[in-house]
Amino acid sequence: MKKYISIITVFFTIGIAGCKKGYLDQEVNPNSPSVTTPQYTLAGAEVASASIIVNDYPEYGVWAGYWCNANDYVPNPTLADFDISLTNEPNDAWDDLYPNLTNYNNLQTTSAAVAADANFQAIAMIMKAYDFEQLVDNYNNVPYSQAFQPSTILFPSYDSGQAIYADLVKQLDAAITLIGSSSGATNPGTSDVIYGGNMANWQKFANTLKLRLAIRQSNLTANTAQADLASTASIGYIDASSEADCQPGYSQTLGKENPFYVTYGFDQNGNPSFGHLYYEANVVAVNIMKTYNDPRVNYFYAPISGSIIGDQLGATKTNPQAASFIGTGLLQSPGQKAILFASYESDFLQAEAAARGWISGSAAALYNQGITDSFTDLGATGAAAYEAQTSVTYPTAAATGLTLLQTEVQAIITQKYIALNGYFNLEAYNEWRRTGYPHLPQKPASADQGALSATLPTRIPYPYSEYTTNSTNLNKQGTIDPYTALIFWATATNNFTN
Amino acid sequence: MKKLLLVILCFLLLFTARVFAQNRTVTGTVTAKEDGLPIPGVTVKVRGTGVGTQTNTSGKFSLSAPAGAVLQFSFVGYLTIDISTTGKTVINAVLTQNANQLGEVVVTGALGIKHAEKELGYATADVTPKELTATAATNVANGLTGKVAGLAVYQLDNSIDPTIQIVLRGNRSLEGNNNALIVLDGVPMPSALLSSINPNDIADINILKGAGAAAIYGSEASNGAVLITTKKGAGNKATIIYQNSIQVQKVAFYPKLQTEFGLYGGEPSNNQTTGFANYVPWENQQFGPAFNGQLVPLGVPLDSAGGKQIMVPYTADKVSPIEQFFQAGVTEQNDISYAQGDAKNSIYISAQNAYTTGVVPDDKNIRNAFSVRGHHTDGIFSADYSVGYTRTTINTYIANNNPLGIPGSYVTTAGDNDLYSSVLQLPAFLNLAAYKNPNADAANVSNFYDAYAINPYWIVDNARRNEQRDVLLASLKLSLDPTKWLTVSYHLSDNFGIDQERYTKAEADFTPYSISAAGNDGGTPGDFAQTGKSLGSVYDVYQFGDGTNNNPGYSRIQGDALVDLHPTLSKDFKTDLLLGNSIYQEYEKEQVTGSSALLVPNFYNVNTISGQPVAGEGSLLIRNISFFGDLNVSYKGFLSLEGTLRNEQDSRLAAAERSFSYPSAKLAFVPTDIIPALKNNDILSFAKFYGSLSRVGLINIGPYEIENTYNIAGGFPYGALGGLSANNESYSPTLKPEITTETEIGTELAFLHNRIDLDFSYYNSFDKNQTVTITTSTSTGYNYSLLNIGETQSQGFEFQLTGQVLTQAANNFGWTLGGNLSINNSKVISLLPNINQLYLGDDQYAVVGKPFPMLEGTDFLRDPQGKVIVSPTTGYPSTSSVNKLFGRTTPKNDVGITSSWTYKFVTLGAVFEYRGGDVSYNAIGQTLTFAGSSQYSASNGRQRFIYPNSVIQTAGTNTFVPNTSVAVADGNYGFWQTSPASGVMSPYVTSGAFWQLRELDLTFNLDKFIAQSKFMKGLSVALTGRNLFLWVPKENTYTDPEFSDTGSNSATRGTNDNNELPPTRVFGGSFKVTF
Repeated sequence: MKKYISIITVFFTIGIAGCKKGYLDQEVNPNSPSVTTPQYTLAGAEVASASIIVNDYPEYGVWAGYWCNANDYVPNPTLADFDISLTNEPNDAWDDLYPNLTNYNNLQTTSAAVAADANFQAIAMIMKAYDFEQLVDNYNNVPYSQAFQPSTILFPSYDSGQAIYADLVKQLDAAITLIGSSSGATNPGTSDVIYGGNMANWQKFANTLKLRLAIRQSNLTANTAQADLASTASIGYIDASSEADCQPGYSQTLGKENPFYVTYGFDQNGNPSFGHLYYEANVVAVNIMKTYNDPRVNYFYAPISGSIIGDQLGATKTNPQAASFIGTGLLQSPGQKAILFASYESDFLQAEAAARGWISGSAAALYNQGITDSFTDLGATGAAAYEAQTSVTYPTAAATGLTLLQTEVQAIITQKYIALNGYFNLEAYNEWRRTGYPHLPQKPASADQGALSATLPTRIPYPYSEYTTNSTNLNKQGTIDPYTALIFWATATNNFTN
Repeated sequence: MKKLLLVILCFLLLFTARVFAQNRTVTGTVTAKEDGLPIPGVTVKVRGTGVGTQTNTSGKFSLSAPAGAVLQFSFVGYLTIDISTTGKTVINAVLTQNANQLGEVVVTGALGIKHAEKELGYATADVTPKELTATAATNVANGLTGKVAGLAVYQLDNSIDPTIQIVLRGNRSLEGNNNALIVLDGVPMPSALLSSINPNDIADINILKGAGAAAIYGSEASNGAVLITTKKGAGNKATIIYQNSIQVQKVAFYPKLQTEFGLYGGEPSNNQTTGFANYVPWENQQFGPAFNGQLVPLGVPLDSAGGKQIMVPYTADKVSPIEQFFQAGVTEQNDISYAQGDAKNSIYISAQNAYTTGVVPDDKNIRNAFSVRGHHTDGIFSADYSVGYTRTTINTYIANNNPLGIPGSYVTTAGDNDLYSSVLQLPAFLNLAAYKNPNADAANVSNFYDAYAINPYWIVDNARRNEQRDVLLASLKLSLDPTKWLTVSYHLSDNFGIDQERYTKAEADFTPYSISAAGNDGGTPGDFAQTGKSLGSVYDVYQFGDGTNNNPGYSRIQGDALVDLHPTLSKDFKTDLLLGNSIYQEYEKEQVTGSSALLVPNFYNVNTISGQPVAGEGSLLIRNISFFGDLNVSYKGFLSLEGTLRNEQDSRLAAAERSFSYPSAKLAFVPTDIIPALKNNDILSFAKFYGSLSRVGLINIGPYEIENTYNIAGGFPYGALGGLSANNESYSPTLKPEITTETEIGTELAFLHNRIDLDFSYYNSFDKNQTVTITTSTSTGYNYSLLNIGETQSQGFEFQLTGQVLTQAANNFGWTLGGNLSINNSKVISLLPNINQLYLGDDQYAVVGKPFPMLEGTDFLRDPQGKVIVSPTTGYPSTSSVNKLFGRTTPKNDVGITSSWTYKFVTLGAVFEYRGGDVSYNAIGQTLTFAGSSQYSASNGRQRFIYPNSVIQTAGTNTFVPNTSVAVADGNYGFWQTSPASGVMSPYVTSGAFWQLRELDLTFNLDKFIAQSKFMKGLSVALTGRNLFLWVPKENTYTDPEFSDTGSNSATRGTNDNNELPPTRVFGGSFKVTF
């Protein structure tokens, strides 16, 4: 019997010999790190933010009258027919912005626990506000207070767009204060591919974003953002020397080109990319610039035999390949910087705020500065002559049927519209929905006979992914008619006056 | 066990039997009719006496018997035969298998432990090698289809290297692996490896259907197990078998296509509202004018603006270009095996070559398999060893759904062009023969007529995937039988393989004219305007794992220590206690290198490229330690009780959750063995009732899926600057195994002297802690979240009936008829609190109270009566904002019918299979409608029409009036391509039902014609066919609903697209010689 017991024992000993301590401890993933550093997260997230601005909003460029689909391609129903349905989503902004926000949110949370990482924390807060503003401007109510809690909240409820705006202002104030009180904290240095760790510029970025949030709510009677402008006015705003440009080292290498250049220009071999062949000049923006003798038209679009030819969205095209593609002012090189917040946008925001009396300063001077900065960015010359034209000069008297302020805003938004061409289509579309400006010589609608609406969409629906993943909360937002529903800051009364 | 007892008994009898003076010695060999191999352990008795013996391991016997005595040969699982000794001293007996002799059949159960079937408290089914290889399927799995109730074999595509799933009793897991565990000679292995096994090496397949049956194999077997036993050597004299089969494969079912309209693709220069369309010679879509027989230009002028213009008759070809494209494939298999053995040693050697060419030109699959198996006994020590090596080489085109997403053609601005979708877009008037040589004048990359797609033959010639799989399966089992109540053994097994894939795509050079505006019409070559070429690419994938390109496909090394205690405590009780320990490690490592910018044309090497190569690696490791016990107690053979308990510790779980245990209990009762009235009953020959209650844990979590990770952010690194970004899936260290609790009851009955067998089983299983990757709103911060949630139920019935309607012995004509039916009901009991529905992927959902997975998707906007609401101005329907639940995607009902007719030496066998109760989403229909090539897209003659059965909403109210007047604004391109509801899914969702003639074989057993031959022992010739006919409901004009674009481990199914080639039928012949 003993013999057999010993045989059994030996057998099991062989079996268990492999079970050394730690034999089963294989949780650590050898393929992807489970830790990151604030530097790596920041760099990754900033580059992604820059891509979103240029990649996600081509439809707004089409609807805003900058571009239209080129004639050799079958019209995209969403673009030309305004056919926006569950399966025809205009863009991926939702599913790009939230993952980008995840990284900023993680950065904010982890940095908050380390005093020396206060600068990272502040940048994360500012960029969160930057991304969330885009979400609200695209969709109105979106998950905010219940977002980013995957272990407890799988179905985040939606916060009102207005409440989110209000909190973003607080977050920006807090970020400005945090930077001011963290002089000894680690500088992000080169990992900050926007400002290279210049924290004073980040304060300006935050302050300019606050200004944008305030201006955007100009139609509302209660504008808390406006009331808060004074508290940080001394910080100043983005100017030509502090423009928020992302430059991680874009180059003519597969996957490392400037996102705008590769999407709407050329690939690493110099072959035209899909976006370049698909989008061409829209007669709406071409005509408005021609009206003002604007030399920038030759930079936004590529001349054909010396002239710029635009097409009308959705129109029957009789002369294939005769419209201008996107021009060299926007497509400078594969290594060009990606603009997140342009100095001219800041100038025009300040001009409008000054005109409204919300901040001090000369609206006319800021207006001219905006035009000048736009010329500079495009590599165009002749800004001074352009500004000197009667049709362009900052208005000093009310136009017929308008108040002086309305006249000033119209001028500012019209020039802002020209300046934003291509680079920040969402912002142009936003301002158009807010103010109804610019008055365009030709209606930015579709000439396609199959178009579902005579006017532009005023809102895009929530993405299909929300229908499949968060339908209960989504359904609480009610039915959204893309042609009549409005973002909270847009009001029907003063919209689309043309 | 019983065999052993018989041996002992026989020896005892031998000692006591009186030996008569006139006795003489009779000798001989007993072989099996099925494979001609000797059978050891056959009881040979002098009928009417107690005198007898058993055959030795080489099937030989020697017995002293009175002159004129009749010898009776009996063996479990075989029909007993009597042979007179009159005038003979050598008697060679041939035994025929009797699958119907219930209860006595010995089942090689879990861990190779043999049990009499009547002791089993759970449902099993057996598939014999004859059934398996009747129609010479190259993959073992294909040989199982339709033959076992509750077993579904899904061939998910029809490529040269098809993906196959084996599922028992439907889905239990919402999202995890629902595949049955494959166990080869006691060693678990991945089901993908079935394609590396030579079907002719298989001696027996035993299927343990439920979770309870396989509890002893641990978490991997919670979906049941398919136990494969390979052939062993036997017979003092060697047996050599040579087999050859040649089969032809042809496409059996094409999508229904229109043959009336030519090229037009919504060019704005055409009038969109009237539906009038001009012919556009370079379009990829077919919304042009109706065929009129006149000559039309095709493409732009060749080579230069004033070059030759191809003109073709504008008439549909007799054979559509799609049918012209696919060719007949051929499979030839050559097999040879050698078997020999004696009491102490045995050996079995086999080799196989299977050479297959596909229905797509140039597709090849070559498999060479070798195996050696042996046994050695020395005293109390014995050893079993086996080594199998298989090399499979595959040469095929690059499919766009390849796991690495490597493009299958030169990428254009319009996206990738893959083979089948390029073929589906060919217009009916195209004479494809002119394009077979993709270098020919009109067919080359510069001149191909289509501005948006590329010549499919260019893909065939220039975008290739070459794969080589080397698989090694090795196993060594050492056993000690030191005393009669104890066996100890240690079984070490290793399987691993190396899969090497090389993807190559040739450079495409375009002429200056073709990339100019006049020469490309804004289409493909124009995309390469700057460089005039698309550079070649090469990607190498090296995977150490199971030898398949499955991801993950693990190599596995396993050690099982077993102690089997079987003391005789009382003569009425038979007890058997098995104690074991099992440790396994699974490992996979994959490396990819490649570039899409090769410098030298047709020189495929990542060393000579421009720019940076693509490179990546990944490895996965799983370790698992288990302890288990299995106690069997049998009382007088008619009442058996089994209890099991297993503990597992697994590296995939966090330390705090790592250890989990689960039990099972099973009971079997055989009244025909104990109730006197039922004994020797002419009607009821055998009856067994059984029931079991089992619990199994199942780890549906991949390695490392308990901690969040970060990936390189897009575009990084920029020089020295690194960037990381959160992975898009959220994990948690609290994840636990899924727990399946299954109750099973069943009965096995045999009637009329075992001529009719009826098996019935009912199971009801509940799955808790479902491990599910749910697609979350990205506002949670992640696209996906891996969770333990909810509970599901899977419940069903299985019937299996086999009957010998006519026996050949009595009627000269034998007819065996079998039928099996399984009905599976699944239900989601709960998900998350307040959540009724979760997205599982592939348009499929888990919905509380419904079966799973449910197909759900977009539908037309409908009135309360379900009629489609159309616009009062355009006549177009629109898309409803509420998705429609179409139905389950796994079949609810599965029927198999097998029949064989034998007359003299000719046998005709057939297997039919039906599946139904499910729906299928044919995304291929959307490709066809996009191309304008589907019959559906021409169903209204491309004219304006009133949407059938539609209604119009009365302005401002919720009332609807029938639409009798508003026709669609454009019945051509406008309706099919750009109208608001043109992307709606519902028109392409069809019933998933089908009947298929799975197998048909006509076998001629020519043994009697070669009886005089000295060197040949057996000869048979057969005509074989597989999947000869497919019957589907009329609405399904697309493809075989079994096809799916989901992966081999996916729980979702039933969504096919243009990655699955059309279904084929296979027919041919084979012959088999035994020496």
